[in-house]
Amino acid sequence: MPTVVLMDASLSMTRPVSLEGSEEFQRKNLAVHGLTMLFEHMAMNYRLEFTALVAFSSLWELMVPFTRDYNALQEALSNLEDFDKTCLELALQGVSTIMQQEWGSACPCQLVLVTDGALGIGRGSLRHSLATLKQRGEDKKFPLPFPFPCKLYIMCISNAEELQTTDAMDNLEQLLILSGGEGQIFTMEGPLCLKSVQAMFGKLIEQAYMPFHAVLRCGHLTSDVQVFPRPEPVMIDEEVDPVPKHVLTELEIVGFIEIADIASPPVLSRHLVLPIAVNKADEVGAGTTDEMEEDTSTNQMAGKSPNFCVLLHGSLKVEGMVALVQLGPDWYGMLYSQADSKKKSNLMMSLFEPGPEPLPWLGKVSQLGPISDAPENPYGEDDSKSPFPVQPKSKRSYAQNVTVWIKASGLQTDVQKILRNARKLPEKTQTFYKELNRLRKAALAFGFWELLKGVAELLERECTLLPDSAHPDAAFQLSHAAQQLKLASTGDSQYAAFEHNITPMLTDFSGGGGGSDRL
Amino acid sequence: MRMFSVSHKTVFVVDHCPYMTESSRQQIECDMLTKSRAQGVIPLAPVSKSLWTCAVECSMEYCRILYDIYPTRKLVNYIVSDSEFHILNSWRQEDQSVQELMTALAAVGPPNPREDPECCSILHGLVAAVESLCKITEYQHEARTALVDLADRVANRGRIICLTNAKSDTHVRMLEDCVLETIQEQNKLAAGSDRLMPIQQCELVLVHIYPQGDDTLVSDRPKKEISSVLSSEVHSVRAGRHLASKLNVLVQQHFDLASTTITNIPMKEEQHANTSANYDVELLHHRDAHMEFIKSGFSGVSFTTRCQKDKGDLHMAGSTSRDSGLKETVTLKWCTPRTNSVELHYCTGAYRISPVEVNSRPSSCLTNFLLNGIFTFTPSEIIVISHMLSCHGGEIFLHMLNSTRSTLEDPPSISEGCGGRVTDYRITDFGEFMRENRLTPFADMSLDAAGRPPIERAKAQLERHTRYWPMIISQTTIFNMQAVVPLANLIVKDTMTEDDVLTCQKTVYNLVDMERKNDPLPISTVGSRGKGPKRDEQYRIMWNELETLVKTHVGTSERHQQVLECIIACRSKPPEEEERKKRGRKREDKEDKTEKNGKELEEKMWTQDSDRLKGAMEREKEDQSESEVIKDSPDSPEPFNKKPRLATEEIQPLEKSKGPVSLFSLWTNRITQANSRKHQEFAGRINSVNNKAELYQHLKDENGLDVHENGKATR
Repeated sequence: MPTVVLMDASLSMTRPVSLEGSEEFQRKNLAVHGLTMLFEHMAMNYRLEFTALVAFSSLWELMVPFTRDYNALQEALSNLEDFDKTCLELALQGVSTIMQQEWGSACPCQLVLVTDGALGIGRGSLRHSLATLKQRGEDKKFPLPFPFPCKLYIMCISNAEELQTTDAMDNLEQLLILSGGEGQIFTMEGPLCLKSVQAMFGKLIEQAYMPFHAVLRCGHLTSDVQVFPRPEPVMIDEEVDPVPKHVLTELEIVGFIEIADIASPPVLSRHLVLPIAVNKADEVGAGTTDEMEEDTSTNQMAGKSPNFCVLLHGSLKVEGMVALVQLGPDWYGMLYSQADSKKKSNLMMSLFEPGPEPLPWLGKVSQLGPISDAPENPYGEDDSKSPFPVQPKSKRSYAQNVTVWIKASGLQTDVQKILRNARKLPEKTQTFYKELNRLRKAALAFGFWELLKGVAELLERECTLLPDSAHPDAAFQLSHAAQQLKLASTGDSQYAAFEHNITPMLTDFSGGGGGSDRL
Repeated sequence: MRMFSVSHKTVFVVDHCPYMTESSRQQIECDMLTKSRAQGVIPLAPVSKSLWTCAVECSMEYCRILYDIYPTRKLVNYIVSDSEFHILNSWRQEDQSVQELMTALAAVGPPNPREDPECCSILHGLVAAVESLCKITEYQHEARTALVDLADRVANRGRIICLTNAKSDTHVRMLEDCVLETIQEQNKLAAGSDRLMPIQQCELVLVHIYPQGDDTLVSDRPKKEISSVLSSEVHSVRAGRHLASKLNVLVQQHFDLASTTITNIPMKEEQHANTSANYDVELLHHRDAHMEFIKSGFSGVSFTTRCQKDKGDLHMAGSTSRDSGLKETVTLKWCTPRTNSVELHYCTGAYRISPVEVNSRPSSCLTNFLLNGIFTFTPSEIIVISHMLSCHGGEIFLHMLNSTRSTLEDPPSISEGCGGRVTDYRITDFGEFMRENRLTPFADMSLDAAGRPPIERAKAQLERHTRYWPMIISQTTIFNMQAVVPLANLIVKDTMTEDDVLTCQKTVYNLVDMERKNDPLPISTVGSRGKGPKRDEQYRIMWNELETLVKTHVGTSERHQQVLECIIACRSKPPEEEERKKRGRKREDKEDKTEKNGKELEEKMWTQDSDRLKGAMEREKEDQSESEVIKDSPDSPEPFNKKPRLATEEIQPLEKSKGPVSLFSLWTNRITQANSRKHQEFAGRINSVNNKAELYQHLKDENGLDVHENGKATR
């Protein structure tokens, strides 16, 4: 989930903060201090996150495009200049453009807006933007909500009391609601100082940038892993079950499936599964600073001790399989090897939609069991078979010979098929009656008795047009079929029963083994 | 998305009154072939559908599309109305199919034109429809049962689609009022019932059908709220194809569908097998499959569709554009696949499809192609892959593929992380493990004796299979040995048969045999200096590991216990004895001239081994073994007969006391002299070690199977 840091660079950010006895700080300095803390944290614990830095005042500028180079972000931050007034709407428009250009419109993003809460005056101010929300045309729509899912974190270099003296807080709250409600407004507690800005960014980090650690388990084989990006809680049906589902911190493998059988399933999100060395002593206070060097040395050590993730990844890659993993009650995902263009490969986890049956072709996941329980190996002794895909209980319309006469051509084709076969009697007796019965059934269901009469007449005429060379059986069958259709068209329950089929007439010529005497 | 939205329940109310027998006046020429045939033949008069036939076939088409795309959870209740109402099916899932409805419709037949028009009314059907909407579906029941106290979260909403021939706008208003009244009445009734639910929201869609050429007496009206419960809309449509396209639009609106047209599909003509013409096929599916296009407002941008079958792989390439006019469809160009390999695509959605014209030739060609895996190949340029058509078990899905930049690009390679530097992972073995732990679907509700569903059994199997599973080759000996495979495969089983136990024992005897022959073991020398552990040490490691493996399963059953006992009984003797045995065997070999090859091999190995025995301790051992030989050889048959039984039937300490004390003390002394390693545990196994020698000889004579079955009796 990429992050955009939207930094207020308006003049009001240079307002000094009164501090007793120390050097004078501007709000901007506090903001930079807080963001530095965020970037340091990300460089350490969340380093795969792509982050962009946008500064705005009455205009906006992309200072640093999406990058994982936190030094670059840091540097841009320290070189930030001061500009004029605040105009948030334009800046949000800019964020929308930047995001979509880079990641398309489906990729969720996090927007960290850093501002002092002075949201501009007059035209271009947030107040003005919000007041004119409903008076806009299609082309000048307010940028929120973004077309992509977005979490909006508003970091106010200001305390709540100060914001409440103006309508700034109200406006920001309205902004949050407009963005879809996901996110939070953070304000500083107590005096504006380095400590309180640290506390505020600490909260943001805790809420949005804590790495997701879990244990990957396959029976007794386990590995501590980080799942990146953090799996987001998912809501399936806001009405019946309004509690969002969270991925458990214990990811349990339940079994394995061939890639061909899982067949490019739809997924909610994809995540890297990175093995981590958990320092037992360090576990409680994880994420503090100054661990860089220690960290790398532990990593080097960890590189040499066997890790289940590496084993699993290697075998999944070689065998062309995926591991089905349980993420929570009735929630599953899959683990597989994913190679990028540079031939580097990684263990990846995709989340399926929560529910007992995320993929119709696998059936209910709870009904998947070990092959050893099956009476015979469903994959065959030489892996030539597969129990997948699971066949649905009923066939779809395109997989059965349905009759649709919405267009005249559909009906004409069906009538022609019968006539074509009628001219090739008695060779085509079976097909002739099959097509005849299909037409008969549809006509009865649609209450289209007129058609039955019409086709009967056609068959009778065909009978009269038979050439002298025709097989004598043809005439018998044609008049028999015509008569049966006519009977059906009366609606007489004896002849118009839906399940009833017109069967070929047994004649001396049809040579139906032993039944030829019955005419 | 809400499960119990208005589209959970749809009631069709179709007018079956005498006026519906009226002709739609849309004529269909059935007698097509006559033109090219006999001149004098008078062509058959064209047929025309009645209003009833039009209504029925269009409603069936609506249901066909609905059931194709939502085989479950979206339910239809079909009611026809004349002098009374006839309910043709129920909300139950097994009643939800076009065949089911067609059968019922055939039984109803067309309206009776001679019936008294005064008695007939669509109202009977509408009242029945409201009553039906109050009836709880199995899905609602299930959800309510699951939520217990929060059962009121399960909503009851529904839609009534009424196909009728109304007389006027006033008549329409009368119908709406009637529905509203009935809802209010029924809701009161439902409030006091367990099997009924009050209706919270109802959408009434009135479709007025009139014959072609007539003027309509009823005016169209967009959706409007009649009350908080009921909204209503009126569509006035001519029978025939107008009605069909109206219902097609409605089914798309009602179930959030969208249309995709796949263009330029190459198809071979029957008559001209060597040429192919291009066709277009229009498909319906959930509108989320167009999410990217809708959000980004793309139009006219090149996209590619990919088409995949169960076993093969076939691409489509193309461009999207929005057709102007009434019909909105996204156009994707077909392209053929480049590779036939099985790939895992990043797919953000998969949606069932239904062809708009299911029995047109291009449609059925495409669907049959996907269903049956007929494979044609036409190279085409690929621009961006946006979609893929794929068939899974008789159902065709449109997969939406991700075509934007990934936020996970350029991740650190797995070789750079934890465990990345280790190079001797048992990749192949774990692959084998994964194959054994593949999943397969079981019938619903197939619980085992312990009441576990299949997935829990799968987890339990993984637990058993991994109780002892070293991850790297250098951490294990037994899993590098082909000879251990039968035992390793069987011991992890939940239940072992008598035969399985025999196989395991045979494996153990085989190992004993290997040890006697002093076969080299695949012990890794990684990390240890020089040539690694000595042969006898190797066997000690191997036996320890095997014991570890089997011990983790010993609690599973009596038979698992038997395997452990067998190992304990047979496992290797102290090194001195090994030496002794080697010499003994050497003597035997000299006598036995038929086994020349084996002897040579063994001799070579023995000499190699003896080269290694350089330390003083080793020399001492040799001395020791000399003395043992004398002791052992004369009474070898005797302990053989007794000891194995003891080993399996009696507890170790007891056996210990019975064992030859002299050897025990001698050996203990030797060990204490040699080094300070943990040798105490070996003391307890001396007895069984002794027996093993005998067992082995027996094996050689009679095959392992006999040994076990006949035991003492053979000698």
